[in-house]
Amino acid sequence: MAFLLTMLGAALACGLEMLEALAIVLAVAATRRPRDAVIGALAALVACGAIGAVLGPALIGRVAGEPLRLLIGVALLLFGLEWLRKAILRLAGRRSRSSSYAEFLAEREALAEEAPPPPGRPDWPARIVAFKGVLLEGVEVVLIVAALGARPGGAAPALTGAAIALAATAALGLVLHRPLRRLPETELKYLVGLVLTSFGTFFAAEGLGVDWPLGDAALLVLLGVYVAASQVMAALLARGRAAVEVPA
Amino acid sequence: MRALRKLVLGETWTLPICVVLAVGAAAVLRMASGDAAWWRDAGGVILAALVLAALAVSVRSSSR
Repeated sequence: MAFLLTMLGAALACGLEMLEALAIVLAVAATRRPRDAVIGALAALVACGAIGAVLGPALIGRVAGEPLRLLIGVALLLFGLEWLRKAILRLAGRRSRSSSYAEFLAEREALAEEAPPPPGRPDWPARIVAFKGVLLEGVEVVLIVAALGARPGGAAPALTGAAIALAATAALGLVLHRPLRRLPETELKYLVGLVLTSFGTFFAAEGLGVDWPLGDAALLVLLGVYVAASQVMAALLARGRAAVEVPA
Repeated sequence: MRALRKLVLGETWTLPICVVLAVGAAAVLRMASGDAAWWRDAGGVILAALVLAALAVSVRSSSR
């Protein structure tokens, strides 16, 4: 079960981050030259690979046992709770829904304002935008996979999840931006927030010497508790908003 | 640097501060318990409650 949850968490988190990166690369390719978008994205992928190759072994080699679990737990809590906070605000209507398609349009509009270079010369602004977009999302992917994969037996499901996400995002990229509009990104990000927060609490507690009574099954209990609590928070926020909009 | 901070710590300072306080409080409790059985059995529930409190504070602060 821990294998499945780790794989699901890694696949969803990585898939959504890759989707955001894809939106930026597609915007650069559609507005400028596809070649420059691909060059920028590939350079960022190489940089992310290097960061992953250094970070993973260094993390596991230098920190071991309970301190490592605590460190991973805190990192996952920081990521998971941030996703969950935003998701609750979105579900309550306090924040606009998450949309890679909107990001695609905004990026395309921003790039269209700048004149492209003459043919035959490299388009550095386009390359830098694609590089920065892929690098920032890619570093988050590396951090999440490293954190999920650092626990004993965690590397295989985390890497499998990341590979599934990569394949799914690449397939989506081939059929271009139309499916981007149909994805329920807010709900998917909510799910990722729940999974990462559950793992974060589980690891951080283990790092603090806790023996979970149900073993790995405690992850499902944590997931249920966070689902219930976040739904209550979103409902309370939505009710507060409705009361402000429609005064009695 | 701003992008990196946003990437690791998120959009606000409230959440990372609350997470540090929640985990810090749990660590203090563990030290105070001297690794007693009650902490090993109930520490996870206590940490989950502290994490929920951190989430509630950050959501409340963001919704203002």
